[in-house]
Parts: sequence; structure tokens; C-alpha cells
Amino acid sequence: MRHLSLRKLLLGIGGLVLFILVWKLVTDAKLVSPIFFPGPERTYAALVKGLSGGALLQQTLQTIQRMLLGWLLASFVGILLGALVGISKRARAFIAPMLELLRPLPASAMIPVAIAFLGFSDHMVLVVIAFGALWPMLLATIHGFAAMEPRLYEVSQVLGLSRLEVIWKLALPSAMPMILASLRLGLTISLILAVVGEMLASREGLGQSILAASRSFRSPDLFAGIVILGAIGLVGSRLLSIAERRLLRWQATSR
Amino acid sequence: MSAAALLKSGWRAALLPVALVVVAQVAATVSHLESDSLASPFDIARAFVSVIADGSLLRATADTLKAAAVGCVLGVGGGSFLGIVLGLSRIADDALDLTIELLRPIPVVALIPVVMMLLGFGVEMEIVIIALGLLWPAVVLARAAVKEVEPRLMEVSNMLQLSFIARLTKIVLPAILPQLFMSLKLAAGYGLVVAVTVEITANPLGLGYGIMMAQQALRPAEMFAYLIWIGAIGWLVSAALNAAQRNFFPAFVKGEGR
Amino acid sequence: MALTQLSTRMQTGTRNSAPASDETRIRIRDVTLSYGNLQIIGGISLDVAAGETVCIIGPSGCGKTTLLRMLAGLAKPTSGSVELDGSMIAGPNRSVAIVFQDYGKALLPWRTAAGNVSLALEARGFPSAERPAIIRDLLEKIGLGRHADKYPAEMSGGMQQRLQIARCLAQEPKVLLMDEPFGALDAMTRQVLQDEVLGLVASTGATMVFVTHDLEEAIYLGDRIVCLQPNPGRVGRIVDVSLSRPRDQLLTREDPEFLRLRRELYDLIKDDHQ
Repeated sequence: MRHLSLRKLLLGIGGLVLFILVWKLVTDAKLVSPIFFPGPERTYAALVKGLSGGALLQQTLQTIQRMLLGWLLASFVGILLGALVGISKRARAFIAPMLELLRPLPASAMIPVAIAFLGFSDHMVLVVIAFGALWPMLLATIHGFAAMEPRLYEVSQVLGLSRLEVIWKLALPSAMPMILASLRLGLTISLILAVVGEMLASREGLGQSILAASRSFRSPDLFAGIVILGAIGLVGSRLLSIAERRLLRWQATSR
Repeated sequence: MSAAALLKSGWRAALLPVALVVVAQVAATVSHLESDSLASPFDIARAFVSVIADGSLLRATADTLKAAAVGCVLGVGGGSFLGIVLGLSRIADDALDLTIELLRPIPVVALIPVVMMLLGFGVEMEIVIIALGLLWPAVVLARAAVKEVEPRLMEVSNMLQLSFIARLTKIVLPAILPQLFMSLKLAAGYGLVVAVTVEITANPLGLGYGIMMAQQALRPAEMFAYLIWIGAIGWLVSAALNAAQRNFFPAFVKGEGR
Repeated sequence: MALTQLSTRMQTGTRNSAPASDETRIRIRDVTLSYGNLQIIGGISLDVAAGETVCIIGPSGCGKTTLLRMLAGLAKPTSGSVELDGSMIAGPNRSVAIVFQDYGKALLPWRTAAGNVSLALEARGFPSAERPAIIRDLLEKIGLGRHADKYPAEMSGGMQQRLQIARCLAQEPKVLLMDEPFGALDAMTRQVLQDEVLGLVASTGATMVFVTHDLEEAIYLGDRIVCLQPNPGRVGRIVDVSLSRPRDQLLTREDPEFLRLRRELYDLIKDDHQ
């Protein structure tokens, strides 16, 4: 865990204040047209207005819901499939190479395919999110299972553990660090694809909202949306980091 | 591994993709497929040949790769520079850490509307978004790499009273070169993803736009031809960079594998 | 090769006449093991009596670890037979426990000391209500009573190896196999653990086969010492250790018989290293 010193905290806050000041100076000096680039006060005002009475709150909830649903779907399918493929050496030999071949394919390239099948619908967006977030979890689970310490497998043989016990007590915990890291990556991907999907399919949410704001040159609303998206990403990854630290307590001292 | 064993495992690896293609073709032939969303492998191959013949595929590929490459160089270059500065100066690091932690989670696609408003459509807008998307990972990797440079080497450079520039070029850069290359490798893959995403979402050029247009025109064979081509490009880029890494930094690759 | 086998059998035949008890626990007959063209073990025959401690020494490549893995059921002989209490060892068996040298890899890093011992009890199907008491006793016995809630990463090498031994004891094995268990530990820890293992073996009456590359460790622990020779692995000599028990780190090691044995084994091993 990182040590949080007072000095670090003060310097950090000072840096943030400086950043906002520079932002303000740039916009006040009209280095960029204020139509395109709002200052911090106008962004803040749009944020407060949008969250207190405007549509922003509803859109935020929509985007979060989409992101979480797709992510959960991907996690469930990815870990289950990964465990099934990863536990068997034979399944790995047949299936893993094709998965590796597909991995560099950008998830967003599947969007047109998803549109072709599902149209511009909420389902389409959900499928795209789940598909994109699936890969890191699937591959991490397969690799995590495959990378189990061979010595532990021998221990399980000597102790006479059943196959199910080997999966549950040895393979899954030893794959846990990789799986948890992939869950975090998957959440990042889910948020990105939720925004892209909303932009493309015009489903209600922050993605559609910021695109509309930019088209009608409402730049404070646009920036307010971006701030919220950053906050969602930040909170999500922080929560998963905390979960990670809890679940991987046993690693803490060896690192 | 003996040649026979390699052949054996290669055969296993190829079985599933080949079987999928054959099954798809048989199913399409038997059902006399006429669809706006599906196409038989044979039709896909024919569409592939035709988009190559009329030059549209190669033009789109060149556009996408150019944007990804320039964005990659700008993003990784700028990010690495910032990361090195932060790694060397504790004050700068402490002062900017909080701000960076707050800016980093902003999904890069959220910047599409902003940059679009400022620059309009075109290759510049795409390059800027790619560069911004690759900036933070490069900062983080370079900063971590600098902090892991052997402290003895830093002490040596202090004892010799090297100037900042000399310290950078004689000690730090050579020491973190392998990590910088890894950063570039990761960025190249991600840069391609961002490029295609921007093209699909907004920018009317490149492979992403091509695949989107094929879908909108209800030409599924062409759409799948683009999809497979995009996958192949992604795979080739990552394979080429992996090979380069193995060639130039063999020791580092071994360490990474552990 | 036939000659080697024959001579080995003759030697073991004469040397096996003085076991610690009449009951034979492990019977190894004409065992060979090859990987492709490479012969690792070229005909080993050996009997181990119940309650006996046999130490196996020999230069690297003599197949001592491989022999131990066959006893554990983790490796199968190409030809010949390995029997436990009269029946063939076909695979791993809970009544045979093995302590690996690389304790860092053999422990579950995500389980505490208590959790690691518990694994053996879970495998034996103990109800969860009965486990804590047994675990506490075992950890107490092996000197980890105060460290039950520590993860392996928080323990020293010596403590981790104790933990692995505790997990093996939880199997209540008839045979305890030790694969250079103390090779990675410092000299002081090693001596303490030697004494503890001797105490545990004496109190449980287990049969122990102990692989080591340390001649003094072999003499200190063993009733008999089997010297293997390499390329392919086969029995060179079997030496009886007539030192009295219980043994003592200072007195036993100063015993003239100890020094004589050390000299004898040293000369034997030295020839193999040339």
C-alpha cells in the first residue's frame, strides 16, 4: 500500500489547484474560443445544474447500469469459459490458439457486426460491451489456470483431492491475481464501449449526451459529462483495487 | 520441441478455425443463404478480393495505420517524456500525482466530441485522440521504469555531477530502453483499437469507417472481409512488435515471461 | 546392464539382512526408469522395514529424487515393481506423504498456516467442526502454534518447511518421504529441524525415506544409508548406521563411529564425483 504523507497530500492538492488555475487562465485569456472550451466555473455550474435537476443524473445512471450489466455478463461468461478451457490441457491445445488469434481484434470492430444482427438497440450496446470486456477475463482465467504451480498439482495428487477440489481450492485461487487484474481492465473497457455504443446507437446515456452537447456547441455540458465519466472510471477502478487488496492479502508481504 | 511435436500441436491449433469456416460454408450453401447480416466464407473471400482490387481496402488501411502510427509516436513520446521527468523529480511527481490520477480514468472516447468540435473531422482529429489515449499509460510505465533504475547508477551520476541532460542520455534512457519499447509495443496495439473506434464512431475515413459503411449498405460479405482484415492487421502489428522485442531485448522478454 | 542389475541385487540381498523390524514396508524390485533413450534409473532393488529411517545419498543425476517420486506414486517405473505393504504403488496414496524441497511452491500462498494444514484434513474428509483442534495440535507439535494465522509469505524458510511437514503429518502417513527438505535452510535451522523430525518419526513410528546430499545429515538421521551411483542410477553401497538413539547434535557428531562413517561415505562419494 502506498504511504500517504502530509507532504504528498499538500503537494498533490497544490498541483490540482495549479492545474485548475492554468485551465482558468487559458480560457479567460481566450486562447481557445470559449464556445469550444469552457472554463472551470462554467463546467462546474453545468455539472451542478445537470446533477441537481437536469437530465445528467438520469444519463449517468443509465451509463453506469449499462456498463455494470455488460461487465457482469462478461465476467461470468469469461471466468466460467476460461475455467473450463484452462483446466484441461487438451482443451487448451485446441482452443487457446484461436483465442490468441482473435485477441488483437479491436472490440469496437465488432460494433458494425452487432448492429447488423441487433440493429441500433440497447441489446446491441450490451452485447458489444460484454463481448469487448470478455476477452481479458477469458484469457486471464485460461492463463491463470495454466500457470498453476505444477508442484501444487502434485500436492493435490498426494493428498488425493478430487477434480472439483483441485479447481476450487487450488486452480481458482492461484489464478485469482490475474483474474482480478482482468476484472479491472474489463471494467475500463466496459465504460469505453458503453460510451461508444450510446454515441452510435443514440441510446440514452452520457455518451449520447456529450455527443449532442458538442453538436449544439454546449461545451459546458460536454465537459460536465466528461468529468462524470472520469469520476465513474475512477470510482470503479478504486473499488476494484480495494477488493483486490482484500482478496490478495496473502500476496501483500511477498511483493 | 521436436518437429513432429510442433506439427502435432499446430494441427490442433488449426482444427477449430478451419472447422468453423467449413461448417459456415456448408451451412450457407445448404440453406441458400440470402441475408443482410450473414455471409458465407466464399462470398467473404470474393468481397475481400474486390475491395483489394478497387483499392479501397488498401487506402483505408493506409489511413488507419498512418493515424495510429503518428498518434502512437506523439502519445508515447510525450507520455514517456512526462513520465521520465516525474520519475526523476520527486517534487514534480508528488505535485502532479493527484491530478494525473484524476485525469487518467477519463475514457478516451469521451474526448471524441471535444476534439471533433475543435478540429472537425479528419486525420488530425484522430491522431490527437489516439495520442491522448496513449499518453497516460506511457506516463505510468516510464515513471515506474525510471524509479526502478538501479539506485547505484543514480548515485554514480550524482557523484560525477552529471548535468540533467547528461544524466538523461547517459544513464536513464539506456537503462529504461527495454521498458520504453514495451510501452511502445502495448501502445501500438491500443493505438490501432482507438483508431478503429474513432473511425467507427465519428471519423469518415480508414478501416473503421469502411466496415461501418459496408454494414450500412447491407453488404455483409464486405463487412466480414473488413472485420477479418482488421483482425489480421492487429495480429500482424503485435506479432511484428513481439518479434522486434525478442530480437532487440531478448533478456527482457525472458524476464517478462516469468 | 544385466550385470549391474545382478550385482545390485546381490548387494542389497546381503545388506538387507538387518532391518529395524521384521515387517517390510517398502519393497523395490529391479526398478528401471527411462525417458526415451535416456536411462535415469538402471535397476534398483531395496527393502525398507517398517519404522526404519533410510537415507539416500549420491551425486546429482543418480536418480535419488526420481526414486523418491516413484515411492510417492508421482512417477512410474519403466520396469520392475514398487510395493507398499505388499501391494503395488499405482499412484499417489494418502498413507505416503512427501515433503518437497521447494516449500515455497508446495504451500498454498493464499491460505494461512492453519489453512494449509487443513487442506490435508479436507482431503481426508474430516468434518469442519473437528479440524481446528487437530490443526492446533499439529501446529503446536511442529512449533508453529503462535503462527496459525500467518500466510506463507510472512514466514521464514524454516517456518514454511515446518508447515509443510505439519501438513504431511495431518495425512497420518505410514511412510514419510523427504526430498532434500532442509537443503535450502541455514545450518542452525537445519539442525533444529533434524532433531524435530527425528522426534516426530520416533513418536509416530512412521517409516522415513530421506533424500539428502549432505553426508552428515544422512548419518545423523539414518538407520541405513543407501549410496546411489549415477548414469544410470543404481545402488552402489548400503551402509548400516549403528549409532545409538536418541541422537544428539553434539555427542552423536563427536562419536568416533560417526567420524568413521563420514570418512567411509566421503571416500565412496568422492569416487563418483571423479
